[in-house]
Amino acid sequence: MLSSILSVYIVLKRLSLIGDGLAHTAYGGIAIGLAVGALQPRLVNINPYLIGGAIVVLGSIMITKTIRSARLSGDAAVAVFLELGLATGIFVTSVTLNYGFQLDALLFGSILLVEWSQIYAAALVLVLAIGAIIVFYKQLLYTIFDEVQARASGIETWKFDYLLAILAGIAVVVSIPIVGILLISALLVLPALSSMQIARSFKQTILMAPMFGLASVVLGMFLSIIQPHAAPGGSIVLVGLALLLAAMVIKKVKSVF
Amino acid sequence: MRYPGGVQALDHITLKISKGDFVGLIGPNGAGKSTLLNVILGIVKPNTGYVRLFGEPISPRNLRKIGYVPQIPYSKDTNFPSTVYEAVLMGRIPHSSRFPWFSADDHHKVEHALKRLEIEDLKNRGIGELSGGETQRVFTAKALVGEPQLLMFDEPTSGVDVEAKREFYSVLEQLNRDLGITTVLSIHDLAVVTQLAKTIICINRRLYFDGLTTRFDAKAILPRAYNYPVEVIEHGEHP
Repeated sequence: MLSSILSVYIVLKRLSLIGDGLAHTAYGGIAIGLAVGALQPRLVNINPYLIGGAIVVLGSIMITKTIRSARLSGDAAVAVFLELGLATGIFVTSVTLNYGFQLDALLFGSILLVEWSQIYAAALVLVLAIGAIIVFYKQLLYTIFDEVQARASGIETWKFDYLLAILAGIAVVVSIPIVGILLISALLVLPALSSMQIARSFKQTILMAPMFGLASVVLGMFLSIIQPHAAPGGSIVLVGLALLLAAMVIKKVKSVF
Repeated sequence: MRYPGGVQALDHITLKISKGDFVGLIGPNGAGKSTLLNVILGIVKPNTGYVRLFGEPISPRNLRKIGYVPQIPYSKDTNFPSTVYEAVLMGRIPHSSRFPWFSADDHHKVEHALKRLEIEDLKNRGIGELSGGETQRVFTAKALVGEPQLLMFDEPTSGVDVEAKREFYSVLEQLNRDLGITTVLSIHDLAVVTQLAKTIICINRRLYFDGLTTRFDAKAILPRAYNYPVEVIEHGEHP
């Protein structure tokens, strides 16, 4: 739900690959969390997802800071942090002999392995994040509509850029158990792309995106139930892509008639 | 004003824009016209010197008194999923309440601006479906709903056909005359400037002219500012 709403902001900000960058940063972060647990048995109870989450949010802020300072373009900044996260993850897991531990679940996601504590934490985070989007709806809207015009009219757009970055980081951490690192950017892109094919206004776009997101997750889960060997992550993303294709066809048909 | 990398975009420019004036900002390509507007809007910070808006340093509060219309709106470039009505309503965001919804007054001002710019019939159209002339009217309406004291246009008619240009300039003239809104129009077309503007500012990195249009001696100033011989052809009316 959060990813679907955020996807509209992320796609329109031309940061479609930020999900990928942040997911790989999360891989590095969670690997560090696991390593801390392995090397410091007394701290073993620290949830590696918590450390991963903190590092992702920090990474997201760093990506935004790099883009805002105009040192690197958006895609280059995302690429740098993606490689940094992945390399850190591989290095840390190999050095601490944890390589392979929970790797499959991390890369491809497994909603069946999600614990209740993670669900409660995710629900709390979702409420807070959607609350922030509602409270700052107008400022976020103007920032993605045209940042230069928004700045020129006195809106401090940098605050909303960072808010968006933090929310994207949170959405990534929450989504990792569902679709895994490799497919996470699909949840942060496909719902917006699909709804933009059909919607005629921003209001419609932002209302339809969560519907596409939820439909992908529910139908994808259903697909993995009727086909027990199908991993839910892959099924969810394939359904999302099918919905995008359907939306594109509908748009094309509407333009003809 | 120097960009990172050492490019000097503006040098020793001192000027004052008076209330109610209609200023034509001219200069060749790369003269720094857009940079000057961006400095006034606080988007680009000068290395030395300062800008005062309405007698005060730049702040979010006094920036809200400015309506800015860019050359190519970013949202047009990204094919932003927005109707004309929504795009114009966005001009109310800096002035609207802290609540996430828009008030009846916001909507009333949008309807009024659509009417003034004669684009009511376009309000349900997507902004991606508009012609160049219609786009500039929509973004002028968006600037107008903030009830600005100063309107700034950055080459607003690039890629707009001749008839739409004439109608657009006529709207700007009316806004300046009827509502007394101070207007700064950055533009290439010298004939339009001399027809419309009360004051001309001519720059090419530095200031070449700042004065009344009636005192603007194109034949003397333009060859120096443009760095090559400029032939001045008088038009009967602006194109």
